[in-house]
Amino acid sequence: MRALLSISDGLSAITDFVGRMAAWLFVPMALVILYDVLQRKLLNIYPEFQQTLLYQFLPSTKAQELEWHLHGFLFMLCLGFAYIRNGHVRVEVVRERLSERTRAWIELFGCLIFVLPYTILVVDLSLVELAWKSFLINEGSSATTGLPMRWIIKSSVVIGFGFLTVAAISIMLRHIVFLFGPAELRPLANRYVKGEGVEELKHEVEEELARDAADHPEHHFGDRNANNNGRRG
Amino acid sequence: MPWYEILPAAMLICMALFIFTGFPVALVLGGLGLAFGVIGIMVGEFRVAHFNAVPLRIYAGSVENIILVAIPMFIFMGTMLEKSGIAEDLLYTLQLLTRRLPGGLALSVTLLGTILAATTGIIGASVVLLTLMALPEMLRRGYSPQLATGTIASSGTLGILIPPSIMLVLMADQLSVPVGVLFIGALFPGLLLAGLYIVYIMTKATLQPHLAPPMARDEDHSGSEIAGMVIKTFIPPVFLIVLVLGSIFAGWATPTEASGIGAFGATLLAIFKRRLSYSVLKDVCYRAAVTNAMIFGIFVGATCFSLVFKRLGGDYLIEELINSLGVGPWGILGMIMVVVFLLGFFLDWIEITLIVLPIFAPIIEALDFGNHVSNAEMMLPWFAILLAVNLQTSFLTPPFGFALFYMKGAAKTVRIQQIYRGIIPFVAMQLVGLSLCILFPEIVTWLPEAVLN
Repeated sequence: MRALLSISDGLSAITDFVGRMAAWLFVPMALVILYDVLQRKLLNIYPEFQQTLLYQFLPSTKAQELEWHLHGFLFMLCLGFAYIRNGHVRVEVVRERLSERTRAWIELFGCLIFVLPYTILVVDLSLVELAWKSFLINEGSSATTGLPMRWIIKSSVVIGFGFLTVAAISIMLRHIVFLFGPAELRPLANRYVKGEGVEELKHEVEEELARDAADHPEHHFGDRNANNNGRRG
Repeated sequence: MPWYEILPAAMLICMALFIFTGFPVALVLGGLGLAFGVIGIMVGEFRVAHFNAVPLRIYAGSVENIILVAIPMFIFMGTMLEKSGIAEDLLYTLQLLTRRLPGGLALSVTLLGTILAATTGIIGASVVLLTLMALPEMLRRGYSPQLATGTIASSGTLGILIPPSIMLVLMADQLSVPVGVLFIGALFPGLLLAGLYIVYIMTKATLQPHLAPPMARDEDHSGSEIAGMVIKTFIPPVFLIVLVLGSIFAGWATPTEASGIGAFGATLLAIFKRRLSYSVLKDVCYRAAVTNAMIFGIFVGATCFSLVFKRLGGDYLIEELINSLGVGPWGILGMIMVVVFLLGFFLDWIEITLIVLPIFAPIIEALDFGNHVSNAEMMLPWFAILLAVNLQTSFLTPPFGFALFYMKGAAKTVRIQQIYRGIIPFVAMQLVGLSLCILFPEIVTWLPEAVLN
């Protein structure tokens, strides 16, 4: 059982790492969009910009295709990451009244019946139907100045669902340990069955506000009176 | 009953059942799509080759779609504004500005909700944030718990309606309407609701001042002090939002471009406020990535679900069901509104937009309201805005309202009965707003028509 838990931790760590790396794609995405907007304005005032190396390297069509390429990788690679971090929406109305064990059983069955068949099918089909077919015909953009090699972005579906599969296996193992393992391992395995969404959210925001109050003591509501009086006095 | 009637109906029932187990909605949808595909194969209503369309649809619908790039960018912008502590500063400044008005603190919460509406849009998160930020202060000042909670819940849900709302981006994608038109169309209805709240709060606070005591004299600030704070805390975020919306409204930028500018602008604001560090940027990226993956996870799952649903004859089922009722366009409108309203008790807008809209979209597109909506092209945007207002109302309606559920979770000292009693006047105003939008489509259609022509 301890071994299962370590495997689960390992798989979680891999998925989490991939998601954390992919999350940084927000930065290039914003920059590419900004570039696209600016270069269009720039072309109006300064048409010679077209001759520059930068424009040759990244004309508007390419920039716009790059935007959704980046986004494709961003959300696909984060599907498993969101599951590991318990970020996928759950309907809490009934769930909050269930016991931890019932929740664990639901999670285990859910992974087995819903997630694994679904992700494995999508990985298999997207590998064959999307990525491989696209690679064989050397598919590029339909625009002449667009990005080449569509198989790269089409592989994002394969990789994204691959890591969602890994996440589901990790979560499944964890619940097996929780349900059938010895009592001392249970606290280590109950990450997905204990908290309710609202509680977690509340906790997060509270921490945030506390940090904010520490940075801006003069805005903190509780002791503002004291501050103002002090300032005036 | 033939298979093509039983299977899609069973699919909807199973979805309802399994969603309530609390298993992630995105994964229930995908898994059910696959499971019913297999059942369909067994009874001969589905072929293995039909599954090939699943990855193609996922790719074409959610990856190769530049409009949807606006969603992660708006999420990033909202998360960044939240992290930079702008909400707190804004609330503080608004309080000072409205301190002489009856119900000043409640008014500032409404205004904050209206301004920050631009930045959030995930109901749970914005209601919890407003509750934790404003409720203790309102109670400390002696506001009645009813008025305080009603104000916070209704202001916190404005975010799904007032542009730039990510819900409107998704609705536009589902109904094949330009995002810009929905953004522009949602502006007046959103402001109308905020206006109704403000009128109510001021009336209530004037008639019964003990429910909303004004700020004590000794908390007064000098005029120049306030002016300084307005410039420092109020102008930058408002400027950012005006920039984002303005560039869309004026046609300078597509919504996707505007969202990128917004994300960049929010980061600049954080830098100016000296709040941006490596760890803050990292945190914003991670959080925004999880929220974004959550939305697109449902998008992808719903793609798989609705593909199988339609293959199995779900379209026919819904169409026949509605035609057999023989209620005409207004009856259908009413019916869809009621269905969405009831679903809003249990589901967030993400699921409703991505599951219900694809099912109803063909029917909605075929509706004909004659001359009620002046311009045929504006029918769908009008309908989408009605749905948005309706959803917001549903999130506020006791006993199940989504926003109330989150509010109760965040505010332990307030009793649920007080929340229920406090929200009733606001729900009434929502219904007034919704009726006005139904009766006078110009509230929605006038601005887009004026701007776009």
